[in-house]
Amino acid sequence: MEQPTPIVRLENIRKTYDSGDLSVEVLKGINVVVRPGLFVGILGTSGSGKSTLLNILGLLDVPSSGIYELDGIRVDTMNDDQLAAERNRKIGFIFQSFNLFPHLTIEQNVEVPMVYGRMPRRQRRPRALELLDMVRLGHRLGHRPSQLSGGECQRVAIARSLANSPSFLLADEPTGNLDEATSDEIMKLFHSLNQSGVTIIMVTHNPSLESHFDMVIRMRDGRTDAL
Amino acid sequence: MMRVSDTVGLALHNLFLHKVRSVLTSLGVIFGVGSVIAMLAISEGAKRAALEQIEAMGIDKIIVFTQQPAAASSSEGSGRAGMVRQYGLNGVDLAHLRALDNVKHVTTVTNTRKPILRGLQPTELNLVGADPGFLEDSGSTIAEGRWFSSLDMRNNAYVCVIGSDVKRTLFTLGQRGIVGSSLRIENNYYRIIGILDNSRGTQYPGLSSPNTMILLPSSTAKVAYDGYSFAREGSSYKITKVRYDLMLVTVEHLEFIDNTSRRLRNYMEKAHRAQRDWGMTVPQDLLKQREATQNIFTIVMSSIAGISLIVGGIGIMNIMLASVYERRKEIGTRLALGAQKSDILRQFLVETVFLTTLGGVLGIGLGIGIAKTITLYSKMPTQYSLWSILLSLGIASLVGVVFGTYPAWKAAQQNPITVLRAE
Repeated sequence: MEQPTPIVRLENIRKTYDSGDLSVEVLKGINVVVRPGLFVGILGTSGSGKSTLLNILGLLDVPSSGIYELDGIRVDTMNDDQLAAERNRKIGFIFQSFNLFPHLTIEQNVEVPMVYGRMPRRQRRPRALELLDMVRLGHRLGHRPSQLSGGECQRVAIARSLANSPSFLLADEPTGNLDEATSDEIMKLFHSLNQSGVTIIMVTHNPSLESHFDMVIRMRDGRTDAL
Repeated sequence: MMRVSDTVGLALHNLFLHKVRSVLTSLGVIFGVGSVIAMLAISEGAKRAALEQIEAMGIDKIIVFTQQPAAASSSEGSGRAGMVRQYGLNGVDLAHLRALDNVKHVTTVTNTRKPILRGLQPTELNLVGADPGFLEDSGSTIAEGRWFSSLDMRNNAYVCVIGSDVKRTLFTLGQRGIVGSSLRIENNYYRIIGILDNSRGTQYPGLSSPNTMILLPSSTAKVAYDGYSFAREGSSYKITKVRYDLMLVTVEHLEFIDNTSRRLRNYMEKAHRAQRDWGMTVPQDLLKQREATQNIFTIVMSSIAGISLIVGGIGIMNIMLASVYERRKEIGTRLALGAQKSDILRQFLVETVFLTTLGGVLGIGLGIGIAKTITLYSKMPTQYSLWSILLSLGIASLVGVVFGTYPAWKAAQQNPITVLRAE
């Protein structure tokens, strides 16, 4: 049986930070393969290198060496503009503190990735409506983030991350700023998205979330012990 | 890459988000552009006024006039009573000027220096003898009655034409039958045959406007006064004799006026070597001089406006740099969502340009206000044109580009990893 192309393939990824005489190796050869449809958790304490791995996965940072294939295409050699386009099309970012634009309505917030993807204006609104309906916020289009609760804000952010139908969602501690009940609600939403075929990579330091993941990448001292 | 319409929309959105801050930020540009507009309006108005004044003397004219020589340099015993003191333009000069190349004709005016009284009050009016060509050469018209005929000239008729100011000074408002009535000056009676009006604002050195003249045919004036005038100076009487006070030289070809005026000057300098009792004005030269002065004024004013624009631009750069810092998290998020560095650069640059252009629009309003206020209080004419408005808007946008580039570049250089983590 032919295996589908992995969404993400990391081969011997290393990252070294140079600051003058001092050079620190943060990632010491990471090998990861993420197949489509998985719900992946990257766990690790602070200082384990999981943030750096997140930045590399999210194309915000480039590895010092190693190969990163996204949808079967090498991205570790791309220039800034190509990386920006890849981020726009293939990665849906979700942040711990939501990072919504406070002066835009939630509908406009969802449209931002479409704006950078040059989607025609006429198509943006129906797409935003569809996504906000999916996260059950279709009735609050004109509201601004400050009028929403934390859980609602994160749902808007999830809708935004899906705007350009990315290859995977990259969530950085998405429940870190939320209470337990709301966290459960958000995790449920991730699960239902995952059920409908969305690949999700979530970075967290919270071991209690481990049970949610199909695949766990444990980071320790710049290395993985993938299970 | 972002669509242009989206970039513009975002910039406008951000400007209207902080309305007060936007206006305060562009204050420097508002004043800069305001001063540019006001400066151009003043300089344009002054230029227009000067041009009118100079054109009023006639662009194809060379004006030669008599000047009272400085008393100290006079060799003719100005201090002694009873001496005839003669100076100024004379018949020989007239013949020479008429004979110069490129001279079409010369019209003379002689001031009788008779004091004109209104009741017992002295007036500023002048009783003069004028050639028939004076009406046309001074750019005046007859408002009522008629100008001198050749018959008047030949007969030394005791007739006069009065300027409109003379009418206003000597007669009551709305008085009828002025033309045809008689004017008594000392023991002579002159019949008023016409009223002259000069609406171009012509001013002659020593004689002021044709409107203030009581004009006699030059032949009559010569017979009646012969260029003599008696002036009382302290305890002694002095007699002065001036043959001609003014010669209006009309040139045939305007393009050679420089040459003609040079020859004229050469002749006059030689003929009047003894004392400087004459002067000349070439309106065209004045025009050039005015332009030169105007240019200096414009340069000075532009420097001031330029400095205020630079100060305004630096202010805007400062605010934009602060804004980049304040919005670094937004920048990071935008980069994560797929904005290219050039999108961020453009976003901030367009925002700055809009800010300065907004300042430009408000500045134009301010400038026009300043110009109008100046005109209202100082009677100084001001003139603003579409051209100056477009120029100011262009300058304002340019300030935005110049001073917006660095903050925009700074914004585009933000590292998403560090700014996303910043709180």
